[in-house]
Amino acid sequence: MQRHVFEAMGTTVESFSEAGPEGREALPGVEVEFERLESILSRFRPDSELSRLNREGRIEADPDLLRVTRLALEARECTRGRFDPTVHDAVVAAGYDRSFDQVARESSGGPLVAVACGGGVAVDSDAGTIELEPGVSLDLGGIGKGYAVDRACSLLAAVGPCLVNAGGDLAVRGRPRAGAWPIGVETPDGTISLALQDGALATSGRDRRCWRREGHERHHLIDPATGIPSESDLLRVSVWAETAVEAEVLAKALFLAGEEEALREAADLQLLAVLVTCGGRTVLAGALA
Amino acid sequence: MTNHVARLYAFAAAILVFVVTWVAVAAHPWQQTARADAQDPRLATLRAREHRLRLEAADVQRIVDRRWARYRHALAKRKKEIAAAKSAQRALLAAASAPSSSGTPSVSVVTLPPLTVTKSS
Repeated sequence: MQRHVFEAMGTTVESFSEAGPEGREALPGVEVEFERLESILSRFRPDSELSRLNREGRIEADPDLLRVTRLALEARECTRGRFDPTVHDAVVAAGYDRSFDQVARESSGGPLVAVACGGGVAVDSDAGTIELEPGVSLDLGGIGKGYAVDRACSLLAAVGPCLVNAGGDLAVRGRPRAGAWPIGVETPDGTISLALQDGALATSGRDRRCWRREGHERHHLIDPATGIPSESDLLRVSVWAETAVEAEVLAKALFLAGEEEALREAADLQLLAVLVTCGGRTVLAGALA
Repeated sequence: MTNHVARLYAFAAAILVFVVTWVAVAAHPWQQTARADAQDPRLATLRAREHRLRLEAADVQRIVDRRWARYRHALAKRKKEIAAAKSAQRALLAAASAPSSSGTPSVSVVTLPPLTVTKSS
């Protein structure tokens, strides 16, 4: 098993390949792909395509930015607005206006202000343009990372079974010699191992990207309905899906739903989900229950 | 005189017995029924009809036997097809409900040490 680790998109990325020498040669390509996509999708890089879009309001966009924006808008529709890429200004208002390392170190910032979400975004695939409603900015952080994981996994899968894990978002392709990929999901009592044969697993939670301002804890998961960090009774949600993009969207949507609604939705949709509540309980939901 | 009359009566009686016997034998009474039967056209017709009916019944029985065999063969074939279709349907249902790599989740909780951990993003 070959392993390659690097930092990208504000997290540690691990990639594994079981393809022998070919896998060893292919693994650095994952880092190159992450760097390429970060230079397009990062809101913290002033020269990224996304930052340019947020500044100018309308651009002829890179194909990857077009694709991720379209996926994000589809996710907004599918989750009835619970997942929303237009939470950018609300995240910034909550204090997440620089890379997370800086946010966590510094304690400056004003009172919490609710910012309206759900602004208009028009993607014209034929013309290759994206246009934002005035006053709207996009944050493609989570879904962009999921997209990068899926892309990197597809690249590695060409040479053999592989796994790419970018913090909360991971995907596997092909079965390893052991038959499945054992993936750890953190719980208050330790780590649960889930054996994945295919697909992706994403975790969304308030326990990692959180900071304190004026004595209050804040986190990056904005509830588009309120425009402030979610007050969900869940601490963390992990969801399996076919792609990392889908898993990321579902994990965020279930997190924002809260325990009761998340359990109901997971059961209705037969999702495979692990919920960790703020009270320290771990609940296997949907098809895992 | 008495002897002469007695002999005359005896002779006459013998003649009478002879004639009666002759008539009786000449009449062939034992052949009368068979001849009557053989000569009755209704019986002949009935016999011919009975024979024809027996032949027709045998033909019908052969046809019925052939059709019954064909039906049983077709029934067995159809039963096999239905069993195959049911088996295929069961296999499809099993495939749809069992975890697989084609869209259906293939995840289970195991006790293996994890290769990597998914953390909150």
